[in-house]
Amino acid sequence: MTKNKRKGLITQNSVCSRMNYLYQASQLMAESHHNILAAYYGKLCRNVGTKAQIHIAPAVKRTLCRRCSLPLIPGVNSTLQMEEQRREPKRKVEESEESTLKAKSKKRRRYRPRRRKGSKPPIDTDHQKIVTDDTYGSLQLQCHLCQSQRRFVMDTRQPKECWIEHEDAIDHVVTLDKEKQPQQEQK
Amino acid sequence: MEQPQHGTAPLQEYLTDLVIPHQRCNVNIIPDHITMLHGTKSKKQNSKKRRAHKSQTLSRREYASLGLNTLPTRQMSYEQALPLHKLWRGYIREHLNLKEGDQVPQIHEPRYEEFSKLLVKMDFHGAKLKVIQSKCETLVGIAGICVMDTKNVLKLLGTDHRLRTVPKSECVFGMHVGNMEFTIFGQHLNIRPAERSVKKIKGFIEPFM
Repeated sequence: MTKNKRKGLITQNSVCSRMNYLYQASQLMAESHHNILAAYYGKLCRNVGTKAQIHIAPAVKRTLCRRCSLPLIPGVNSTLQMEEQRREPKRKVEESEESTLKAKSKKRRRYRPRRRKGSKPPIDTDHQKIVTDDTYGSLQLQCHLCQSQRRFVMDTRQPKECWIEHEDAIDHVVTLDKEKQPQQEQK
Repeated sequence: MEQPQHGTAPLQEYLTDLVIPHQRCNVNIIPDHITMLHGTKSKKQNSKKRRAHKSQTLSRREYASLGLNTLPTRQMSYEQALPLHKLWRGYIREHLNLKEGDQVPQIHEPRYEEFSKLLVKMDFHGAKLKVIQSKCETLVGIAGICVMDTKNVLKLLGTDHRLRTVPKSECVFGMHVGNMEFTIFGQHLNIRPAERSVKKIKGFIEPFM
């Protein structure tokens, strides 16, 4: 029994290192603009994972394009842009929402922003309803190779600040003497 | 809901088939009296399903039409593949658990079997390979960095920036890792690269030449 387990571990290890290598290779190829090779390595990395029944970590998996498994790097082989909003249909939904609030409550919850620690609580519910129309933009990420798109709903009302730029993110600041470059470390 | 007349023809045929043969001539079906419902799924459901399917993974045909199965012969230069080879050297060190000054285990050593199994399961993308021996004489001497690995073929990028396709089953390849030298019989690599890391390998394989 133990022998079997150990054997399994060894094979898993070798498969993991292979997948790791393939992922790195695909990133490398994507950076040097060889999209076809990059997609090939990405696909192979995925296939090896499916054959050996190993899950890729979701955060890593999402960096690969869903359709062609090209590692998406915005600006190099994919475009990231704000999408123009279609306002009118959204308004209609909101008008009907008040009359059938109970029925639609499930649907609405999906669009409600999650309150983060730093953000202020909303002052007025009525006020919020009016604002909701303009607060959500959507980000669009388009792959250059297979033209597939991914959308992310984004809350534009929140302060436009990346997590790294946020004050809480800085744990401590290390200053290097030689180069005199401040280096920030994440929590 | 009423359907246009051409939709009712198979139905009329079906209904007449149900009647006893000698009374079939008496059957008279007026198309206006037939009321047909649409199929179990509404149009809306159908369209939703199709859209969801479209955004999913590429089919083989779409994959080929994007040109992902073929690589251009003279697009990549040898220098661009060198970082890949560098990455591969790190990978093979990790994969075979090599340390500085390690020797290839002899056949009587206990770790020989384990080592050779690892060797079969390694990844060839980025390795510097050279054809040592082949049934086809023109293939002998081709060297380069392996860029693509399919079931029957290796694609080697030579120093003259040209991509060459070499069949595996006819060739014997040579490979260097540090101070170690390997001879690989291509015949036994005829497995899809994704399956090779999972496939069970027999203990004894005879060389073919």
